[in-house]
Amino acid sequence: MTAVEELRRGDAPAGLPFVDFVYMLRDFGIMTGMKEVLDFFEGLEKGLAGNLDELFLFARLVFVKKPEHLDRFERAFSLFFYDIDLPRVAEGDPELIHTKQFREWLEKAMRDGTIPRGAMWNMSREELIKKFWETVKEQMEGHHGGNRWVGTGGSSPFGHSGMAQKGIRVHGQGGNRMAMKVVGDRRYIDYDSANTLRGDNIRQVLATLKRMVPVGAENDLDLDETIRSTCNNGGDIDLVFKRQELDRIKLVLLIDNGGTSMMPYVNVTRLLFSKVKDRFKDSEIYYFHNTIYDVVYKDAMRTKPLKLDKLLGYNEETRVFILGDASMAPEELMYSYGSISFDLEDRVPSLERLQNIAEKFKFCVWLNPILKEEWDQTYGAWTLNKIRGVFHMEDLTLRGVKSAVDYMRRKAVK
Amino acid sequence: MKFAGTDKYYLAPELEAIVNMAIVMEKPLLLTGEPGTGKTQLAFEISRALGMDIEILRAKSTIKGEEACYVQDTVLRLNDARFGSGETGRDVQNFYDYAIWGPIGRAFRADKRVVLLLDEIDKTESDVQDNLLDVLEENQFVIRELNQIITAQQAPIIVITSNAKRELSDPFLRRCFCHHIAFPTKQEMREIVSLHYREISEKLVRVALEIFYELRGRGFEKPPATGELLNWLGALQHSGKMPETADNIPFAGILLKRSGDIQAWRQKGRKKAKTSSWHY
Repeated sequence: MTAVEELRRGDAPAGLPFVDFVYMLRDFGIMTGMKEVLDFFEGLEKGLAGNLDELFLFARLVFVKKPEHLDRFERAFSLFFYDIDLPRVAEGDPELIHTKQFREWLEKAMRDGTIPRGAMWNMSREELIKKFWETVKEQMEGHHGGNRWVGTGGSSPFGHSGMAQKGIRVHGQGGNRMAMKVVGDRRYIDYDSANTLRGDNIRQVLATLKRMVPVGAENDLDLDETIRSTCNNGGDIDLVFKRQELDRIKLVLLIDNGGTSMMPYVNVTRLLFSKVKDRFKDSEIYYFHNTIYDVVYKDAMRTKPLKLDKLLGYNEETRVFILGDASMAPEELMYSYGSISFDLEDRVPSLERLQNIAEKFKFCVWLNPILKEEWDQTYGAWTLNKIRGVFHMEDLTLRGVKSAVDYMRRKAVK
Repeated sequence: MKFAGTDKYYLAPELEAIVNMAIVMEKPLLLTGEPGTGKTQLAFEISRALGMDIEILRAKSTIKGEEACYVQDTVLRLNDARFGSGETGRDVQNFYDYAIWGPIGRAFRADKRVVLLLDEIDKTESDVQDNLLDVLEENQFVIRELNQIITAQQAPIIVITSNAKRELSDPFLRRCFCHHIAFPTKQEMREIVSLHYREISEKLVRVALEIFYELRGRGFEKPPATGELLNWLGALQHSGKMPETADNIPFAGILLKRSGDIQAWRQKGRKKAKTSSWHY
């Protein structure tokens, strides 16, 4: 009985190679179903994965359905087949020091004595980061770290000849280098859905935002369809209605362009929303600094104020996106006259103003460029969590924008 | 049957392997990627290399999906029923005499295996994609008038392209093998250029590619793609001009299409010129 037949019969797939790999993919957030698994094993039986490179390509073809999962796939593959645990971030990204991989590497290096104890104080951060990547590269080049499938020790669980007779040839010459190189290039890292927005993944986000088309009641007469249906009905009038286009809906984007931390995201977000403009009656952008008081500004320099009350007078169906890191000193958010700008004197605490906005507009999402995983650790965590209590908050990543759009769509259907 | 590229088209080894895997597994191959990565071209190359005919569905937002399989010429049938079909040999009772086959219909009814290209599928509405699920999964569709199932004589090699303007539905994706074609690296681009311009100065290509990739990195609204590069190189070669820096290039209009992009590019160039004059 072949492996696939076994699997189809529902027997325990204990003897099957690579089932663990499939589960690892799921751990990395690539949701694979039975269909993909069956396809995968069918391909193995047809001899489509004669070496590790082919296995890499074939597995990717079968399991990865979206570009945003490509980098995860590569990391999972590298962990499973080379025993190299790549961090989520790219080389050169200072975020590295927050990753699990970096911490583990540092601990191990200190235990082994490759890095002297107290290195954290003697070596600069940059040096440590450089060292980390050097180690990773060494591993990738020599495959020395791997004792699973590839390597010189041959401790592969499937013995010298790999799996079955159509198995993976791991000790032969050729055909096993390309995958490693591809993985090392990290070409798809910018597409990952957990990445903050930037030029490369804008297209994906845009595709998501376009789904924000409002859904109305079915009360517009569809003339063409009515005629067709009436004819089918033997001449008895059969009225067909289609959904009403809710073209009166406005889009409002409120941007915190205060601190330098916000600068990289302002343009990218503006560009993004300018492209979905045609889906709305009109769209407006206003600016604020850190948080919102009794006015917002029509220009990026914040010289032309608009009374918040005026904004609150907009149709309650208006879709509102607020872009900001929600990080500031607590008194800016909580106190009367809390603003740090001299010309802004508002007796009402900003938090209350925010609550007004949230109560007025039911389709309102706060987009935060700080990654969701870090919301509790960032220096502004206190105010961030306060604001999170008021607004539905998502991070400014592909997955964040996706959930924001889903959130609005769900509300619209209700 | 193995696909191995043709002399007019640069085929990355990776892509070659993937196409062959999809053929062996008889799965539709969904290609995504920026414009200018040769998605559509690939389908034509497969058809040429394997000597197969190609059927093409060019998707539009107005398409319903049924006409991709067939439509019935109702007016003609009505006419024949009323006035007789005369010498034409058409039988009013016979539906097939009035069926006009769309690309999918033709591909399924062909005696020989063909390549079926569904181009820019992301332009269609999601219910159209749902209508195509059976086509992809079972290689069949239903003729509603007769309640008859048409099954492919020979399962075609299905190639689907998407520019990711809109997201495709999950069930649709699940039925395909998906491959994202990354934008060509400098080395690959060199190969592509050499296929199109056999006698071009090595220096021109080197300088032009440097500038091209720098411009692409600037985050324009519509970054220049392969097609633009090739046209630009053609113009440069023809005029004998040599570009110097990314801020001062001849025929910028070939590379940058959006007026906003051109303005942003000019502004940057001017700023540079200004700051550099400070030093003198």
